[in-house]
Amino acid sequence: MTLAALLSAALLVSGADPGPLRMLGPAPAGVVRRVVTLAPSLTDVVLAVGAGDRLVGVSRFDERPEVSRLPRVGGFVDPSVEAVLALHPDLVLAQPGPGNRRAVETLAELGAPVLLLPLGTVGDVLAAERAVGRALGRTEQGEGLARDLERTRAQVRARARAERPVRVLLVYGFDPLVVAGPGGFADELLADAGALNVARDAAGPYPVYSVERAVESRPEVVLDAADVPAGRDRLRALPGLREARWAEVPDHALLHPGPALGKALEQLFGLLHPETVR
Amino acid sequence: MTAVAVHEASAGARAVRFTPGRAAAILGGLGALTAGALAASVLVGEFPLQLSRALGEPGSADARVLLGLRIPRAVLGALVGAALAASGSALQALLRNPLADPYVLGVSGGAALGATLALALGLQVLAGPSLFAFLGALAAMALVLAAGRSRSSPHAALLTGVVFNAFAAAVITCVKTLLTPDRLGEVLYWLAGSVGYEQPRTLLLGGGLQLVALGVLWLESARLNLLSLGDEEAASLGVPVRRTRAVVLVAASLSVAGAVALAGLVGFVGLIVPHLLRLWLGPDQRLLLPASALGGAAFLVLADATTRLLFPAFHAEPPVGVVTAVLGGPLFVWLLNRREQLA
Repeated sequence: MTLAALLSAALLVSGADPGPLRMLGPAPAGVVRRVVTLAPSLTDVVLAVGAGDRLVGVSRFDERPEVSRLPRVGGFVDPSVEAVLALHPDLVLAQPGPGNRRAVETLAELGAPVLLLPLGTVGDVLAAERAVGRALGRTEQGEGLARDLERTRAQVRARARAERPVRVLLVYGFDPLVVAGPGGFADELLADAGALNVARDAAGPYPVYSVERAVESRPEVVLDAADVPAGRDRLRALPGLREARWAEVPDHALLHPGPALGKALEQLFGLLHPETVR
Repeated sequence: MTAVAVHEASAGARAVRFTPGRAAAILGGLGALTAGALAASVLVGEFPLQLSRALGEPGSADARVLLGLRIPRAVLGALVGAALAASGSALQALLRNPLADPYVLGVSGGAALGATLALALGLQVLAGPSLFAFLGALAAMALVLAAGRSRSSPHAALLTGVVFNAFAAAVITCVKTLLTPDRLGEVLYWLAGSVGYEQPRTLLLGGGLQLVALGVLWLESARLNLLSLGDEEAASLGVPVRRTRAVVLVAASLSVAGAVALAGLVGFVGLIVPHLLRLWLGPDQRLLLPASALGGAAFLVLADATTRLLFPAFHAEPPVGVVTAVLGGPLFVWLLNRREQLA
């Protein structure tokens, strides 16, 4: 998945208030057998509650091998209403946002039950895991996922309390400089892992950040979660940033607000406090 | 020598001499073509639509897709295509410039600026970007008309429009850099132009607007023919030059504003459809204007159906503006060469 795709997923969260988790359209059937997801994170949740066999369609950004053979129904901003309806879903899982609002409302009007699941914060992810579990008759699995994440958070927080807070800049893209700002799940996980997010003064969870401010904030650690290295070396050569320890985030878990957040949090802790990891 | 005769002479022997009977036959043929395009387009899409079931079982998914998606979308495409091509034809005549397209009068810049601001600020009032695009287009139109009033030359309006578009593009670029990049995709998608799904009441409103605006343009078409001779000649033939120019500018701008609000900036329709038809029919606006409306409707409806045919290849529908430009660009270059060869 490209960074652009991830960021456009993020826009659905960072845009106008996506509102709470809610249903649109008719109530889903008693037993949901055909599920279409409009975002990879939601595919991850369905797979994690053990209902992957009920997926009949996914977004074009889905890359998991489990869904590689499924039909693609479009992207975040441009899901194809027809392609979704052609799959006769009992339930459509969508991340709400201004970009796909019209398409999602049209789907609901034409008789497809839609469950809108904001995934902006860790709280949203927990609620989404529980809601997907309930909707698919996998209440315990959904609850289990949420509890696992809550437990991991509690454990990591406890370990982080024993460590000195680290000043961190989490970078999603170098040119332009896009970082993890306040108000999103990445910022929350950074706090859990004992980091002080130096970009907490930025506007929104995925802001374009001023390079001068980044330099001035003198992070101790720069976490590189960028997809494309373009512009990295230039930034890394700047005073204030070249003194920092640069660490690459090993996979995209930190960009996926889903069941992988627990793993992402543990990775994050390891990256920030390498001395604690053998 | 009448205006029409002058144009026929300049356009060569190919021009069709205007008679009501001939016009009815040609427009009837183009109307049938448009109807055919509409019928073909409702059969195309990702949903495996069975027409018999759609028409026979009102509650079926097929019926919902046909009535809720395909038909409204085809109607929207037809409205937008008709508006762009007809106003393109009128503006090319009025501004005496074959390169004029519906967007030269600043309408595109105003609409794009309005929509970009709405998307940037997350405004979802009523129809969100559509409403603000319409308001932006109206504001641009008012500005261009006000600037053009002081001069009698049509070039004042043209130049003001071009300058306003450049100004709007600069402000849009500024807004884009101030914003987070995450909204960029949405703005770009809107600017590329696409025919989506609109509510019936929106279509009705848009249809009413186009009916009035294009109706006014057609009523002015005979005077438009005379205006293309030059202001003094037209005045000597009894045309109220200023009034006619203002009426045509307002009607064309309203029509374009309505189209842009519904579909974003769909390019090339307003340029190539009138040119293509002019090669066949000659420059008589009494015929060319309604012919352009019908031809534009058919062209955009087919281009939009093409975007749906392309879905399996891209797992996305390319914006219809991309299809019209990819088809329209080469065609336009070819037309331009041909015109030079003829000259």
